[in-house]
Amino acid sequence: MDFSLSEDQIIFKKSAIEFAEKALNKGVKEREKNREFNQEGWEKCAEFGVHGLSMPEKYGGLGMDIMTCVATMEGLGYACRDSGLLFAINSHIWTCESPILKFGSDYQKDKYLPGLCNGSLKGGHAMTEPDSGSDAFSMKCKAEKRGDRYIINGAKMFITNAPIADLLLVFAVTDPTKGFAGISAFIVEKGFPGFSVGKPLDMMGLKSSPIGEVVLQDCEVPEENLLGKEGSGAAIFNSEMEWERSCLFATHVGAMGKDLEECIRYVNDRRQFGNPIGKYQAVSHKIAEMLVRLELSRLVLYKVAWLKSQGKRAPIESAIAKLFVSESYVENCMEALQIHGAYGYSTEMDFEKNLRDSIAGKIYSGTSEIQKNIIATMLGL
Amino acid sequence: MSIINNIEKYVLAEIVGVLGKKTIDPDEDLLEQGIIDSLGLMKLITFMEETFSMKILDEEIIPENFQSLNSMASLVKLQSQA
Ligand SMILES: Cc1cc2nc3c(=O)[nH]c(=O)nc-3n(C[C@H](O)[C@H](O)[C@H](O)COP(=O)(O)OP(=O)(O)OC[C@H]3O[C@@H](n4cnc5c(N)ncnc54)[C@H](O)[C@@H]3O)c2cc1C
Repeated sequence: MDFSLSEDQIIFKKSAIEFAEKALNKGVKEREKNREFNQEGWEKCAEFGVHGLSMPEKYGGLGMDIMTCVATMEGLGYACRDSGLLFAINSHIWTCESPILKFGSDYQKDKYLPGLCNGSLKGGHAMTEPDSGSDAFSMKCKAEKRGDRYIINGAKMFITNAPIADLLLVFAVTDPTKGFAGISAFIVEKGFPGFSVGKPLDMMGLKSSPIGEVVLQDCEVPEENLLGKEGSGAAIFNSEMEWERSCLFATHVGAMGKDLEECIRYVNDRRQFGNPIGKYQAVSHKIAEMLVRLELSRLVLYKVAWLKSQGKRAPIESAIAKLFVSESYVENCMEALQIHGAYGYSTEMDFEKNLRDSIAGKIYSGTSEIQKNIIATMLGL
Repeated sequence: MSIINNIEKYVLAEIVGVLGKKTIDPDEDLLEQGIIDSLGLMKLITFMEETFSMKILDEEIIPENFQSLNSMASLVKLQSQA
């Protein structure tokens, strides 16, 4: 096991940091206030190559290995203050683009991947429904084969990118007798008859990332848009989640690194009772604990990336990584805010926003409780 | 031990243990009966990969390959012939 980054990976990570600092942070406060998506930032990221990091060059991607993807995402998480934008991009990559590459037909790859890589198309995936979240495979959304098309009926809830997406991977039941094995995935374009999206939902954080409801009413999907075979929906979903749980959460590791640096600077500068507050053990121990969580988060994430780079399955490891990184990020955000006192609580600084954004990580990609269930089940409990 | 017996033993011990089931018919539809759920399948795949020194691709995780002991055994045999 060697988790150290190569020289090229370090250079790429640094260039991602420089790029994000220069190109992605302008107007971030305003966008947050207005719940506005950063279209310009999206395009700049696509130009930089973020959207196609792991995609083959023939589709316009950079063909990078997973460790480079993780390092790049960590760099972006460190330097980009618009976590909503990073969340939107990661959902696009790991829950739409990647599964099309992995499970798609040549027709699907040729049709969709170039646009997804160059950012002219936006994607996401629609699994959650009003009545099924953690128990995702108990979904009601149905797809019925009629001639050369599928007719999909159902509603999807809390779908990242839905209000801006050109296509979504929609999961629906094709064989109700088979439970989770009767679920299939479809590439649904926004212009397909019967497809509609509700207004963006107002969430606690990630305000610049549009999230919405999707309604499929007799939605007509050509049979060539079935992704993989009928019944492979659960496998597609599980595979997506393993990737998302390592790569998306790398942005959190980056953000934790940035927050920690700011906290160290602050506790050295801020004086109370005649001393820098960092001289008080109650404060310095918080910093020490923040570093412990950051280092362990990075380690567990790199381990998953390393396993995936070896072509290995990592159901337990990716659940551990998702659980540990998301919980650690929330704890570090809480401590960063506390260390900055009222300044931390004020919207002038980013700490309260970071905290609100971080909490979502305990819910999406499977809640913390569900990650524990996965770990326990895999242990035979 | 045959491939089928090996998988049957694992499914009975690790996946349907609480249901008190003693045997599984080789053609019994384990998906339709809800005997194997999605996490159970994940465990089973790990078991099959380790026991039969095989690599199951995500694309191969479809009902045809996992609905019964017979279909799982066919997948193992197909891979060992390849
Ligand atoms: C910011 C954000 C973006 C999202 N983006 C998407 C998206 O793009 N596509 C998509 O399909 N979905 C998306 N979701 C939805 C997300 O996947 C679900 O919110 C998540 O799976 C949990 O489902 P739920 O909210 O319905 O909670 P529920 O499943 O109703 O759970 C409620 C609570 O009960 C707990 N719980 C439930 N079952 C168990 C159990 N068996 N054991 C222990 N505890 C349990 C949960 O952990 C949770 O604390 C997004 C959510 C958020 C917050």
